[in-house]
Amino acid sequence: MNRPDAGVTPPPGSWRLSWALGERDYSILIERRACFVCLGLLAALLAVSLLSLCLGTLTLSPREALAGVFGYGDPVSAFVVQELRLVRLAAGVATGAAFSLSGCLMQTLARNRLATPGIVGIDNGATAFAVASVVGLGTSLAPPPMALAGAATATAITFALANDVGTRGYRFIVTGIGVGAVFGALTQLLMARVAIDTANAAYPWTVGSLNARDGAALVWLWCGLAIGLVVACYLSRAMRILRFSDAVAQGLGYRVRACRYTALVVSVALAALAVAVAGPVGLVGLIGPEIARQLSSHRGVSLIASALSGAIVMVAADLVGRLLLAPIEVPVGIVTAIVGAPFLLWILLRPAPRFQS
Amino acid sequence: MNSFAAISSDASPSNVSPDVAPPLAARQLSLSYGRGSARRTVIDALDLELPAGQVTAIVGPNGCGKSTLLASLASLARLHVPDRGAVLLDGHDIQRLPAREMAQRLALLPQETLAPEGLTVAELIRFGRQPHQSLFKQWSRDDRRVVDEALAAADLHELADRPLDAMSGGQRQRAWIAMAIAQQTPLLLLDEPTSALDLGHQLEVFELIRDLAAAGKTLAMVVHDLVSACRFADYLVAMLDGRIVAAGRPSDVVTTALVRDLYGVECTLMQDPATGSPLLTNIRSARHSRG
Repeated sequence: MNRPDAGVTPPPGSWRLSWALGERDYSILIERRACFVCLGLLAALLAVSLLSLCLGTLTLSPREALAGVFGYGDPVSAFVVQELRLVRLAAGVATGAAFSLSGCLMQTLARNRLATPGIVGIDNGATAFAVASVVGLGTSLAPPPMALAGAATATAITFALANDVGTRGYRFIVTGIGVGAVFGALTQLLMARVAIDTANAAYPWTVGSLNARDGAALVWLWCGLAIGLVVACYLSRAMRILRFSDAVAQGLGYRVRACRYTALVVSVALAALAVAVAGPVGLVGLIGPEIARQLSSHRGVSLIASALSGAIVMVAADLVGRLLLAPIEVPVGIVTAIVGAPFLLWILLRPAPRFQS
Repeated sequence: MNSFAAISSDASPSNVSPDVAPPLAARQLSLSYGRGSARRTVIDALDLELPAGQVTAIVGPNGCGKSTLLASLASLARLHVPDRGAVLLDGHDIQRLPAREMAQRLALLPQETLAPEGLTVAELIRFGRQPHQSLFKQWSRDDRRVVDEALAAADLHELADRPLDAMSGGQRQRAWIAMAIAQQTPLLLLDEPTSALDLGHQLEVFELIRDLAAAGKTLAMVVHDLVSACRFADYLVAMLDGRIVAAGRPSDVVTTALVRDLYGVECTLMQDPATGSPLLTNIRSARHSRG
């Protein structure tokens, strides 16, 4: 075929996939580095996942664990794998990916690496509402919709008080920290006012844990994550442009506000759904994107790589939490906080990249 | 630089007849910032037409509204809707044009040009192709050709793979202009393209701007230095307090009275013996000479 666009040399470091449909030529560019990074992270995630299926009170060989996944082999190990570890793994992968993707989107739209839902108090808003739902205060809604409502409330309050759409990063972050503190206090107040048994039931939410999570919330999260990943792929071109100033992005034909609002909605929703499953393990939203950024080139915003890194961090942190003081379990939120806090300091003390405002 | 003959542009030839609609015009445009008692009019019932195929320089003292005017012309007023009036692109209200279509017809070089760390010249210029690309049309033969042409036009071929942060101010500014060239728009607006540059680098940028006008583009720029504006622009627009106080060919418009009105300084005007453009000499504060 003699198409004008056949065999065009792609920019360095990319593959060009092209096809023709009728009279029109289509092409997409795939960055080689991003491709390798994602494949590598996927392999690492599979490895950590397998490890997490094998290790625990009952140690299984990889072969036994895999047999258990598909329902073969020893009934006891099949039970352990299918009923306990697989659900937990699914929760770990989904929450890690959701927190991290959510963090990466918000960092990009606010042009600041500190702007993640965990830092700006959105996780806390979602937690307060989810806890209110668990302790049975005034509403019979399940945690996921309550967490969504809480996250949306926290976001709305933060934006109203900061009075901007994430263009002046620090104002937004400082306001968010304040709003988050208020919601944190609200959660504590709720816990203090209810009977000790109810408070115990809600406790894992306040520290972040993957232990014995409700299946319905997990289904909500996986659905949200699937939608979030599709929207993220669609937004990835706009996200690259948003790293420039608004004037440049607008000059290149992007509807800056629309892009930013879409990314914000996806980010807040993902954080809320993840909180409904695991509680506020928001530091994953800081660590995941940072790992992805270190591995990737400067060209794009590594949304998929961020999701994969977040999943790895979450599953690994949960595994460490389960094994460290076994048979006592350290909640995953505490493990990520121990790793995440020095990491946060490192981000704060490191010289800022130029594009930060 | 003969490489300009190769620039592909939808620009109309520079000798258009005067009765054709101007490529870009403001009609009774008014804009203000702030709310309530803090409301401040920045642009006040302003009329302006950019002459096709020429370089227009917008000058005036700090805070006179020249950058705001340029931003409104570039439809950044989408972020800030005018109170009254409109900006017309080929006779159409830019508020009603889709963002993408705008970007195919008008390119803007903002004053604040921060780029992501590590971005190279060629990568920056490729972003200029965004308005012509889409999710499933990410790289065509045209894209490749136009990026090469933009590199050649800005004389950046040797520096194509250099990160922007490792280049001189003048080179970096030329790279940004090359990105705007890659947008293939007949119109190009530049906000203080030379304000942070030394003399040699300023010249690099102004010469590139002249070359683009010679290739048929219509350009407008906000410039701080009146002498450079006179030297490199065909059409001078002088602004004060949100209004245009003078507009026309630099040699016709610039008078000692205008300079006094704009900047509050006295000066003696001369003609550049080499180019004929106005020169300001013996500049002194108006207060001083009165006393």
